[in-house]
Amino acid sequence: MKDKKKITIWERYLTKEIGIEFKACLYFFAILFFYCVYRMTGGIFEASMLHMGEMILTCYAIGYIQVYLLWNFDEAERMGIKECLGILLCTCIYCLVSFIGNWFDRKLIPTLLLAVYLIVCYICVFVIYRSKRRIDDKKLNEDLRLFQTKHKKE
Amino acid sequence: MKIDVKQIREGEDSVTVRYRQLTPFINRILAVLKDSGGKLWGKSGDQSLSFGYEDILYLESVDDKVFVYTDEQVLKIEGSLNSFMLEADNEIFFRCSKSMVINVNRVSSLRSLSSNRIDAVMEGGEHIIISRRYASEFRKLLRGERE
Repeated sequence: MKDKKKITIWERYLTKEIGIEFKACLYFFAILFFYCVYRMTGGIFEASMLHMGEMILTCYAIGYIQVYLLWNFDEAERMGIKECLGILLCTCIYCLVSFIGNWFDRKLIPTLLLAVYLIVCYICVFVIYRSKRRIDDKKLNEDLRLFQTKHKKE
Repeated sequence: MKIDVKQIREGEDSVTVRYRQLTPFINRILAVLKDSGGKLWGKSGDQSLSFGYEDILYLESVDDKVFVYTDEQVLKIEGSLNSFMLEADNEIFFRCSKSMVINVNRVSSLRSLSSNRIDAVMEGGEHIIISRRYASEFRKLLRGERE
């Protein structure tokens, strides 16, 4: 009989894909926001579709790099040396693509500000997930104590 | 040893043990008879030892062998994790991965991990990861919502 609890290769692959998809969308919107703010401060109220296409493709590419090439580091899980190195490397790639793709008119200051902004975004993701996990920890331990009290009495 | 088994139609079930000398084997039979409710037997080296369900921290299956971890010892028991779960028929035991079963009453704390996994810290200090596959079932068990 087939074990229903066993994770298939397809499910394993799908889990990774969903993770990449989620992160790509998250960072795409973050970069798009920065890009729009940059455009608006320059008095331009239109966004280039080519730039947006490049942004989403870069986000996907970095997602794949993160999972398949960079030891699958997860900034939502912990913030160790490996994660910090991964964040720096990914930020450098984003900045390089933005410079080559002319997202910020090849200006150095907006590119450097993008780097700072992305690092802040990565840290925010970590802090948000950590807070979420802490709340979940409390709930789990409360449920555990209730379960143990109930089952030790029986 | 002569074994005399007789079926009776009326009266209370009874077992009479007649021995000339109290050997370890006779002692084991007496222990089983006295403690027939909730005692298990496991092997540690050449020794056979009895233990209660409440002594178990967790069970692990390695190469088709099942090992029971208690506070002080590791014992090998007969059967599989599935047969143990059927025999125990107790909510306090939870299958947390393909090769492990934990005693929920002996979990000292839980920690939520990314990807919806749970780190269960046992009373002995061991960290056992409840995979995402089993984590939602575990949450239901704690909340008493398990079918």
